[in-house]
Amino acid sequence: MEYETVIGLEVHSELNTATKCFCGCKNEFGAPVNTNCCPICIALPGALPIVNSEAVKKAILMGLAVGCKISNYSVFERKNYFYPDLAKAYQISQAEYPLCIGGGVEIDIDGGKKYIRLNHIHLEEDAAKLIHTKGETLVDYNRGGVPLIEMVSEPDMNSADEAVAFLEKLRTTLLYAGVSDCKMQEGSIKCDVNVSVHQKGKPLGTRVELKNLNSFRAVHRAIEYESSRQIEELEKGGKIFQETRRWDDERGISYAMRSKEDSQDYRYFPDPDIVPISVSEEYIASIKRELPRLAEQRKTEYLQLGLTESDADLLTAQRDYADFFEGVLKEFNEPKFVCNWITAEVFKKLNTLDVEERTIPLEPKALATMLKLYKTGEINQAGARKIFDELWENGGDPVQLVDSLGLKQMNDSGALEKVLANIIETNPKAVQEYRDGNEKIMAFFVGQAMKATSGKANPKLVAEIVKKLIK
Amino acid sequence: MSVTIDEVKKLAKLSRLEFTEEESKQFLSEFEAILRQVDAINKVDVSGVDLLESTINADTDLRKDSVRTSLEVEKIVANAPESEDGAFVVPLTVLED
Amino acid sequence: MELLDLSMSEILTKLNNKEVTSVELVKLCQKRIEETKDLNALISTCFDTALEQAKIIDSKRAKGEKVGELAGVPMVIKDNINILGTKTTCASKFLSNYTSIYTATCVKKLLDAGVVVIGKANMDEFAMGSSNENSAFGPVKNPIDKTRVPGGSSGGSVCSVASKQCFASLGTETGGSVREPASFCGVVGLKPTYGRVSRYGVVAFASSLDQVGPVTRTVEDNARILSVIAGKDEMDMTSANVAVPNYLANINKGVKGIKIGVAKQFFSDKLDGEVRSKLDDAIAWYQANGAQIVDVDLPSIDAALAVYYVLSSAEAASNLARFDGIRYGVRADKYDDIIDLYFKSRTQGFGKEVKRRIMLGNYVLSSGYYDAFYRKAKRVQKVIKHEFIEAFKHCDVLLSPTTSTTAFKLGEKSNDPVAMYLSDVFTVPINIAGVPSLSIPCGVDKQGLPVGMQIIGAHFEEAKIYQVAAAFEKHNTKGEK
Repeated sequence: MEYETVIGLEVHSELNTATKCFCGCKNEFGAPVNTNCCPICIALPGALPIVNSEAVKKAILMGLAVGCKISNYSVFERKNYFYPDLAKAYQISQAEYPLCIGGGVEIDIDGGKKYIRLNHIHLEEDAAKLIHTKGETLVDYNRGGVPLIEMVSEPDMNSADEAVAFLEKLRTTLLYAGVSDCKMQEGSIKCDVNVSVHQKGKPLGTRVELKNLNSFRAVHRAIEYESSRQIEELEKGGKIFQETRRWDDERGISYAMRSKEDSQDYRYFPDPDIVPISVSEEYIASIKRELPRLAEQRKTEYLQLGLTESDADLLTAQRDYADFFEGVLKEFNEPKFVCNWITAEVFKKLNTLDVEERTIPLEPKALATMLKLYKTGEINQAGARKIFDELWENGGDPVQLVDSLGLKQMNDSGALEKVLANIIETNPKAVQEYRDGNEKIMAFFVGQAMKATSGKANPKLVAEIVKKLIK
Repeated sequence: MSVTIDEVKKLAKLSRLEFTEEESKQFLSEFEAILRQVDAINKVDVSGVDLLESTINADTDLRKDSVRTSLEVEKIVANAPESEDGAFVVPLTVLED
Repeated sequence: MELLDLSMSEILTKLNNKEVTSVELVKLCQKRIEETKDLNALISTCFDTALEQAKIIDSKRAKGEKVGELAGVPMVIKDNINILGTKTTCASKFLSNYTSIYTATCVKKLLDAGVVVIGKANMDEFAMGSSNENSAFGPVKNPIDKTRVPGGSSGGSVCSVASKQCFASLGTETGGSVREPASFCGVVGLKPTYGRVSRYGVVAFASSLDQVGPVTRTVEDNARILSVIAGKDEMDMTSANVAVPNYLANINKGVKGIKIGVAKQFFSDKLDGEVRSKLDDAIAWYQANGAQIVDVDLPSIDAALAVYYVLSSAEAASNLARFDGIRYGVRADKYDDIIDLYFKSRTQGFGKEVKRRIMLGNYVLSSGYYDAFYRKAKRVQKVIKHEFIEAFKHCDVLLSPTTSTTAFKLGEKSNDPVAMYLSDVFTVPINIAGVPSLSIPCGVDKQGLPVGMQIIGAHFEEAKIYQVAAAFEKHNTKGEK
């Protein structure tokens, strides 16, 4: 029998606001324990939430970036449950009237495209951090109240690959929209996954929620595991229970977290401390004007600059790549030339890094300066590479590096003639081969010239002089 | 509207409150009396009444995203039943293993 | 006449004329508080810091420096309002060890105006109750008859003013918690328009209904305090961005041409005969003094109490969930694990009435019941609110009894929650509609117990209320002094 897996995702992303969602404490990762806290963060009696305008704005920005309809009327609700990471014993979230409704993103899958619909995007607050030590748990409320958007998909995905492609697409879009830093290791992007299986043509199966998915890889593995588990269970004649299961990445298994009878009743109701928010059409229009150019738009622009489709795809894969490319262009407007260096040299270095850490450590201006020196012949390719390595590792000013590394290209034909005359004299065999029509032997002369000049010789000039001297 | 003793127990659990059997029973009878009073809400005609409330504007009435000084950590944990180096201490929140 | 018998406005004149110092007043209040300890009006006192503040104000005044509009006045604050460095217990065992690390906006404004806080008032636990018998620190007694309740939940705030332990106090309202005790103890108590006074720092019972209200011995005193505490607060999103008028400007204008609405629903057979006759007298007086009496209809207010019990309990269940024994409050001594810590701490920390409301609140919010109770109650609330708005198209204020009876005996209703809840039947509709209402004395019954009447205004029309109330007060207290 053929089974189909049906997957829906709830993706949470922390917004990169300066302050928390409901108070003026810093939204900051890694501060000393409980130092970004106030009466609101630790839910002191009498403290009241005050909505951060920027959090609302960034949620709307993301909504606009993925084609949502922005609600004119939006309500914050309380999701009630007890847990030490939730100071008020309710999370301020949205249910009936979220900020953004509908929308969706297109993913590339198996050489084709697929549109994954979103149900809605809502704004809510993050929970505090629990630190488990031997015998006790420590609670740090710094993260409590940090703004999150939850992007809830429709159950439109049918494989782990699609789910990860969807996640990657959302991540890219969050970065392009400039609303989140999306650092998985800092917990700024997280997701819960709903998985069910059913026989094709039959009604949908019972869905199971998976939690504790801390990397895209974990999402992929957990979905594969869970869908086979469910299929196996059904094949055995068993039943799938609607439950929450926790993914154990180390052991590569999922297990039930809560028993069914204790199913949560969150008792959602509108938060009486927060007045419903109206979002005017004018405000939506003004946010739309601030929406940064997204990947598709930039790709179109790059194609117009004469880049190939595959180069444009590479450069727009992440916003920081595209920003870097544009940053270099601003200083040195040679799109093809710049693109070639980035896709070859920069990406080669990035690929040696972990996926999570693939950020470009260079100033666009520095690379532009170096490329200018290269293009105008001040330095040769070997020199360019040397400077590039240095910039990548330690930074610095390319112009000074040319001097300090002694990379200024030797363009003095008189001096080069002297060097080459010597080489020609001491290598009669090679000279003969060249005369016999072996053009490839030119590389030998260039190599010798480089050796003699510690790599500074202008290779083009060397070739010209060789041609002139050997007639 | 009648309530069962099982419902009372379920509510107690949801409320994180414990009642003795006797308390639960007494509570049940009081609860039913209260709910009889509450039935008055069903005597008002609410057809056509929506639940929309008055609003504030997202662009002008919300808090500016500027940092306010947080409290000193000593104050944050000043009332804590148990704290350690600025962190609140609770029994291990065991993962269901 | 003793200094403590004077109104706050009178004492302010004396302070400003340097006929008396704030230090003297604090000491007088301290003495009175000690003499009337059996009333159990206060949970804690802070005479040392009060004297320090009083000294500073006195010296400023002596030097001719600018002082606030209430400079030097000793006040009592209900114990569910945070003041930095004071215990804020909400009369709950759970918070018996809790010290505030911040100050509520309303108190901050009073302190800025020069008020000297001398103590925190007893109350029903978490402001849930109508008799002040639900306090972990014991019941408050009615100063007029110590066998009777002072009303609740702001019983301590009211008792303190009525027994002249202070010149004014702050109470809080959710369903009548200032007006009902004000009526029982014969003082003036206001429930401002919802949103008029910031709730920041006021321990929430039911966020959508809670308001802080001044308790005073005169209408003018009340207006002076509201002038200080009213206004938009950036720390409370539900505080209204409505300009604060000068509440004293029209206070002595009389009632000529004022339209006073009377709704038959407030004069049902539930109303005690003596209370009714006092109200009839008041209405007759208003009419004789140039006011026009108009009949208005509030057909749905009989459902207000039911709406109140659904909405206030729902919000309370959620608002009181934070009392979990983790960040503050009393944690149970023995518990098995984190879950048990919640159960034990909450079960041991909360009193019976609080538990009842939490249970009721979770009931009306739980899946399967939410639509039938919470949503339905919200809709009925809208209907009631609109009936009030409609009524105010035909009159300037509404007049009604504050309570259906005078103060009842201690213990009389403490085992019958429904009978207790009915004490609020006339006050609750006002909270449900969000409009302001002031309870003022309107004579005494045959047993000498005060009768209260409330003057209800349209949203943000407190000034009109004060004007109508002050006129009657002038008449009512004539011959008393």
